Amino acid sequence: MKPNFVQKVTNWGNFPIVEKEMKSEDSFKEIREFVLNHNEVIARGNGRCYGDSSLGEHIFSTKRLNKFISFDRLNGIIECESGVLLSDILEIAVPQGYFLYVTPGTKFVSVGGAIASDVHGKNHHAEGCFSEYVIDFKLMIENGDIITCSREENTDKFWATIGGMGLTGIILSAKFKLKNIESAYIRQESIKADNLDEIFRLFEESESWTYTVAWIDCLQKGDHIGRSILMRGEHAFQHELPQNIQKNPLRLKKKFEPTVPFYFPGFVLNALTVKIFNFLYYKKQSKKEVKSFTDYETFFYPLDFVKDWNKIYGKSGFIQYQMMIPKETGKEGMKKILETIANSGNGSFLAVLKLYGKENPQAYNSFPFEGYSLALDFKVNSQLKKLIEKLDDIVQEYNGKIYLTKDSMSRSSLTNYLKNVQSSKFVSLQHKRIINNNK
Amino acid sequence: MIVLGSTSEVAQAFVEKALQEGEKFEKIYLFTSNKETADRFATHIDVKFLQQSEVIVLDLMKPVDYNQFEYINSNLLFCATGYLGEGTEEGLYDHKNTERIIDINYSKLVPVMNYFAQKFESRRSGTIIGLSSVAGDRGRQSNFIYGSAKAAFTAYLSGLRNYLFDKKVHVLTVKPGFMDTKMTEGLPLNPKLTATPKQAADYIYKAYKKQKDVAYVLPVWSVIMLIIRNIPEFIFKKLKL
Repeated sequence: MKPNFVQKVTNWGNFPIVEKEMKSEDSFKEIREFVLNHNEVIARGNGRCYGDSSLGEHIFSTKRLNKFISFDRLNGIIECESGVLLSDILEIAVPQGYFLYVTPGTKFVSVGGAIASDVHGKNHHAEGCFSEYVIDFKLMIENGDIITCSREENTDKFWATIGGMGLTGIILSAKFKLKNIESAYIRQESIKADNLDEIFRLFEESESWTYTVAWIDCLQKGDHIGRSILMRGEHAFQHELPQNIQKNPLRLKKKFEPTVPFYFPGFVLNALTVKIFNFLYYKKQSKKEVKSFTDYETFFYPLDFVKDWNKIYGKSGFIQYQMMIPKETGKEGMKKILETIANSGNGSFLAVLKLYGKENPQAYNSFPFEGYSLALDFKVNSQLKKLIEKLDDIVQEYNGKIYLTKDSMSRSSLTNYLKNVQSSKFVSLQHKRIINNNK
Repeated sequence: MIVLGSTSEVAQAFVEKALQEGEKFEKIYLFTSNKETADRFATHIDVKFLQQSEVIVLDLMKPVDYNQFEYINSNLLFCATGYLGEGTEEGLYDHKNTERIIDINYSKLVPVMNYFAQKFESRRSGTIIGLSSVAGDRGRQSNFIYGSAKAAFTAYLSGLRNYLFDKKVHVLTVKPGFMDTKMTEGLPLNPKLTATPKQAADYIYKAYKKQKDVAYVLPVWSVIMLIIRNIPEFIFKKLKL
C-alpha cells in the first residue's frame, strides 16, 4: 500500500467538504520539506473554524505538534507547540490556579488557530483578544526558515500573523501569559431581557463585568424581537464559594459527556424544533434574575459538553454567520438583522450576542472592533445563499464585517480586510475565494 | 519506566496515560534513534507532569554497548520499537529494506529486550509490555516481511512470558490493528477499525493493570484475526489480502 495523502477534509461546519492533500509531521525538518516542496500550503489546527479558512491545496495539519515546551508556574507563562489545544492547557493550568486570559466558546481550538484567528471571548470588552497575552511565537516562513516573532522582533510578521488566518506561514509554537484564578468556578448572574432595548441596556450596564454574553432567540418578532438572556460572570474567589467546593476550588468533578453518534437526518432540525428549543431555553429560567456559581466548563464551553454536536445539523452541514456592526448604529442594525432572520424562519438554536470593546489598533487583522456582534448557525440548504445575501446587505449598510473564522460564503466586500498577507506560498481556499470574488 | 522506541505515538500516549493515572516513576528512560523528537517529549512530560526523564540514543543498526545501560532499572518496560518499511513490490525485493524490517522489529531488538528482561528476572517483579502487530498473526501478501518479523516477535514475547512466569514477571503482548499514527498516515484505513494512539494507550493500560497476556487494540481485531487465522491455507493462498 502506497500512502496517499489526498483525503476528504472539512472543518467544524461540515461545509464545504474538499478532497485535498493533508499531511502532518512532527519534525521541523520534514515540515520544512513540506513547505518547500509545495505551492499553496495552509496550516490547519484542530479544524474548529467553521468554513474554508484552514482548507487549501496542500494542508499541513499541526496535530502532531502537540508538546508543551515550558510552564513558568510562578509567573503564569506557558510555551507550547501550535497543535496543543486550549483544553490541554486548561488541564494543567487550572489545578495550578491559572486560566486562559482569552478563550473562545470552545476549548478544542489549537494554539496556532487561536493566534491565526486572534480569537476573542466573553471578556473582549474588558481584556481584548488572544493576541494581547501572546509574548512571542515561532513562524515557518516561505523559504522554510523559522523566525521568532514578538513585539520587539520581526514585528511586521508578528502583527500580520495575528488574525492573519495562516496566510503568513506556519505557526510552530507560541509563548503566552495566563491569568491567576482562585477557583475553577464562575460567579454568574443571568438576567432575562424581553426585547432588544432591554438587552442593549443590560450590556451597557454590565460593562464592569469581566465576562458578558447573551443568548438571543432569533425567531421572535414584533415587540419580542431581541428576547434574550444575558449572562455575566467573574472568576469566583475561594472565600465566596459554597462550602462543599471551597475545600478543593480548583478541581472539577468528572462529568458525563454525551456524544452525537451520527449525522441527524435533515428533517430533525426545522423552524418548529428550533422554536420549541428556544422557547424551553427561555422558560427554563423562571425568575427574572438568577445568581449562581457555575464551573468554568459550563460557563465558557456549554457546547463542548456534547461531543460532535455539529452532527445535529445533518450531512449537508451548516455555517456559522458571525457579523459585527459599530456600536453607534448597533441597535438599529441588529434589529434589521433579527427581523430578516425571523422572517426567513431559518433560525438557529443558540444565537449569541456580544458587545465588544475597543480594538487594538496594532492588531490590524483582528476581527473585533467596538460594536455589537451576533453569531448564529444556519443549516446549509438551497435558500441559505439568498438569506446570506440579505444579511450581508444589512451588514454592509451598517459598515460592519464578517468573522473570517466562521465565513464560507459571505461577499468579499465584508471579508477582504486582511493586510500584509500576500503570499504565493501560503494560500487558503477561503483567501482564494475572497480574492477571486473581488475581481 | 523504560521506553524503547519512545518517539512512537502509542508509547508516548501510554506514558501520559500512566502518569495521568497517578503512577509514580523515579525516572523514565526514553530510548530512541531520533533524539530531537524524544527530547521534545521529555520536556513535555516534565512540563505537564513534572516527570524526570532521560533520553538515551540507541540505534539498533549499530553495535550496542550494554555497559552504558547498567545503571538503568525499572519495574515497567514498554517496547514500541518497530519499523513498517516498504510493503510494496519494490520494497519486497529491496534487500536493504527487508533487512531493516527484520532487524528493527526482531533480530536486533531481541538482544536488547533480553538484556532488560534479565534485570526484571533478578528483581523478580515488574511488567514487560511489547508492541507486536496483528500483521504477525498470519502472513499476507501485502506486508509479509513486516508480518513475519512481528510473528517472530510475538513468538519471542510468548516464550518470554512463559520463561518469566515463575519469576513473577508479567509479559504483555499487544497486537494493534490499524493505528492512526505517523507510520500509517495516508493509508486508506477503515476508521471504524482504527485506533488513535490515545485510545490504544487506554486499552493497553487496562490490559497492563489486569495482567493480561495478550491484548488486541481495538478489541474487534481479536475477532477479525480469529477468522483470518482459521481460513484454510488452500483458500487463504488465493485471497488478495
